[in-house]
Order: sequence, then C-alpha cells, then structure tokens
Amino acid sequence: MAQIPVQTIHRDPQLFYWILIPITVVMILTGILRHYATVLMATTPKKQELPAIREQRSLLRGINLRTNANAISPVSFQARKDYLVNAYEKGDFLKEPDKKGQAAPNPMTDPAAMEGMMGMMKGNMAMMIPQTLIMGWINAFFSGFVMIKLPFPLTIKFKSMLQAGVATRDMDPQWMSSISWYVLCIFGLQSVFNYLLGSDNAASQMAQQMGQMGPGAGAQMFGPGVDPDKQFQAEAENLSVLAQEYTLVGVEERLLETVRV
Amino acid sequence: MTWISKSVTGLGLLLLTHACYSAHEHSALHSTSTASLSSMASHTAVASTVASLPIDISIETVVAVFVICLGLVLGTPELRPIQWRVWAGKIEREGEKGFTNSDGNVDKDYVGNPFRMLESRPGFIDIRKQRKEFAEWVREGGGTAGASKS
Amino acid sequence: MLTERELQINPIVQESVLHNTKTLTTLHNLTASLFGVGAGILGLESYLGFVFYLIFSLITSALVYAFRVRPGIVKEYFRSSIELWTGGLFEGLSGFVLTWTLFYGLVRA
Repeated sequence: MAQIPVQTIHRDPQLFYWILIPITVVMILTGILRHYATVLMATTPKKQELPAIREQRSLLRGINLRTNANAISPVSFQARKDYLVNAYEKGDFLKEPDKKGQAAPNPMTDPAAMEGMMGMMKGNMAMMIPQTLIMGWINAFFSGFVMIKLPFPLTIKFKSMLQAGVATRDMDPQWMSSISWYVLCIFGLQSVFNYLLGSDNAASQMAQQMGQMGPGAGAQMFGPGVDPDKQFQAEAENLSVLAQEYTLVGVEERLLETVRV
Repeated sequence: MTWISKSVTGLGLLLLTHACYSAHEHSALHSTSTASLSSMASHTAVASTVASLPIDISIETVVAVFVICLGLVLGTPELRPIQWRVWAGKIEREGEKGFTNSDGNVDKDYVGNPFRMLESRPGFIDIRKQRKEFAEWVREGGGTAGASKS
Repeated sequence: MLTERELQINPIVQESVLHNTKTLTTLHNLTASLFGVGAGILGLESYLGFVFYLIFSLITSALVYAFRVRPGIVKEYFRSSIELWTGGLFEGLSGFVLTWTLFYGLVRA
C-alpha cells in the first residue's frame, strides 16, 4: 500500500533519433572544434627584451638554487647565496634599475600586459561562445521534451534544474528534459575527449577551468602589476633563511649499510 | 602483446553489443506482450513493465565488461619506475628500447640518459688533443681539396 | 610517506610519476564509460549501479596490479598504494553516469 507506483511514460522512439542523438553528436563535435580552435589560436610567446628576460631568469635562478640547495656542498651554496642575495637587494637584475622603489605601473596601460590579457580573453571566449550558442539552440528547438530517466533517485530539489521547461508538478524528478541532458553531456564527455584527442586536450570545460588556475600561478609570477623588486626582496629573504643540509653528508655510512657481507 | 589486447577488446565489444541488442529486444518484446495482456485482462494492474533481464543476458554483459576491461588493461603502456636510481638504471640497461610504445616509436617524453651531462662535461674536454685533431683534419682536408683541384 | 630527507637521498622522477598517473587516469576514464554501458544494459538502479561501478573499478585496479605492477612492489611505480587503488575513481564517475543514463534509457525504450 505504501509503495508508490513507478511512473512510466511512454515516449516516442523518435525522441531519441531527433533529440538525444543530435545533442550528443553536437556536443562531441563542439568539443573537438574547441580543441582545434584553441590549438590554432594559441599565439607564440612574444619575443621579450633582454633586460626583461634577465629579470625573470635571475629570479628563477634564485628559486632553483633554493629547491636544489641540498645537492651542492655548503661552500658552493654559501658563495651562490651571497652573490644572489646581494644582487637581489641592490636590484642589479631589475629591468629598470632607476625605477626601484616606485609603484608598479597600471596594468591597463602596459602593452605587454594587454597581450597577456588578450590571450586569457581568447581562452574564455572559446569556452563561452559555443556554450551560449548551444544552450540557445537547445532552448529554441528542444525545450519542453521529457527525454530520459535517470537510473538513480534524486530529491525534489533537483526538479527545477532537471526539468527546466517542463512545468509539471507531479512528475518524478528522475525524468530529465533535453537541457539537463546537455548539462550531463558537458560533464560526462570528458572521457570521450580523452580518448579522441589525447589526455591533454582543450576540449572540456573542466580542463579549461583547471588550466586557468594552473598557468595563472605561473603568469602571476611575472605578470603585470607585480613589482619585481618586491619579488626579489622576498626571494632574497627566502634564500638567506634557508637551512641547507648537504645530501652527501654521511653517504659512506649509508652506502656501507646497503652492503650485506 | 598489442594484438592480444586488441583482439580481446574486440571480442569483448562484440559480446557487449550482442548483450545490448538482446536486452533491448527483450524489453521491447516484453513491454508489447504485457501491454496486450493487460488490455485483454482489463487492467489487472501490471504496473511493473520493467521486467528483470534473463540471467544469460546479465551474465553475458558482466563477462563482456570484464573482457573489455582486461583488454584495455593489457593495452596500457608500461608503467615507469619513479625512483630516480631505478629509472636511471633502466635507461642505462635498456636504452631507447625500454621506452618504446606499442607502435614501435620512442615516446615523446623520453629524455635520454640522465647522466649525459656528466659524460660530456666541458670541464673534462681535453682541448689540446682536440686542437691537434682539428689541425690533423685541416691538413687532410686541405690535401684532398688540393688533390681534387689538380 | 617519505620524509624530506629521504626524498633528497632517493629522488623521485617527476616525469615518471606524471606518466603513471596519466596512464591510470586514461584507463579509468575509458573503463568508466564502459561500466556505464554495462550498468545500463543490466538496468541497475540507484545504489546497485554505483556499487557496480565501484566493484568493477576495483577489478580494473586489480588487473593493473596483476599485469603492469609486478606483485609486491607498488612502491616502485606509485608513491603510495592508495594512488593505485583509488586513482581515477572520481574522474570517471561523470562519464559513468552519462553512459549509464544513456543506455538505461535506450535499452528500456
């Protein structure tokens, strides 16, 4: 008595041929298109001025010294540290040594900064435009069809999300409209793209969002609006407080321990 | 190795397709038969059109999934040792052979001998010997050039 | 887990770690879609479907263990054994749900 009868809806098989399969195919093709569009639009990095490169590389040199400090002997480390810390604090490697201590320029006026922003914009555009286009296409043609049933039960909260465009009160939230199939496709086609395009593709939105966080960290380092002098000072401080421990200390004992006599 | 994985995967896909088709046919047949039955028996409340699959189709599906899985695992590239000394030892021992994929090409991220920096260190170059060799080469080269001219 | 000092003494090749993780993730992505097809054909619902996914993912990991990692030395290929057993489990879940729903709908039309 307490058991709720299972809702069954007889759907026309034509729904599958003319809605479900087209949406899926269009999603896959859009992903592939986005991948190749991103590949084509990727600009080669612009050639930089010598002082700018020197500024970046010398900062990287400090970072490398810090990460690999334990691989060199204390004497060599001390010598490198003294040189780098001294140069950092004096600002020898700065692009414009006379501008030391001034505030960073406004990133909007710097042409080099605009370049980087354009690249980011392009990436965003390649993601946003197809998404809005397909969303509009599905809304215009396929809104209001009940397509498919999710095989697992959901709470009533998902009803408004899954059954957008189908205004019925009593329908089980398991039933999905075409819009929600589209959303499911966005998340689920990752593995298909992985298979088709290799694992480091630009097709899926998920990877795009991840990617924006990843290179964002790298670009932040030399990005516009960051005062290089401050970075040098911070790196100098990091280097001078680093406790270095030579890896080869006690290597004889360790080697002898591995030898079984 | 690679043709084993491909044929196993293909076999599994065949089984899976067959299972899928049989399940679809079964459900279609079942729903039409229950529909006609219920119309004849004047709504005896046969709400559960979702019938359980025959056991042979279920078994076929599970076996097919397992077989494809096996094939895919056999088709994956070899894992690489992550410890530096094991990895470097493997490169020293096997060279490029240990890092070829199933098509016979060397992997893109094969970096070569990690100790090659040590072996070609500029500080260890005997520059005088090389200069002597160069002078030797120039003399011989000039000799051949002169011979060809005359 | 390794301490920092041990890491310095026995360094780890980052490229190999990446390669191994990528291999495992790709495999799990592929197989997850496959398990979705299986679950859809079987007509599994709610918890049964997720249990199906879990069991078969573990079977996949076990196969990797048996064929790729020679038994007993997981440490040689992965930083910890958890990485082998649960790696790629959550990345594959969305693909699983997609194909599960699709085949569940297609088979029971």
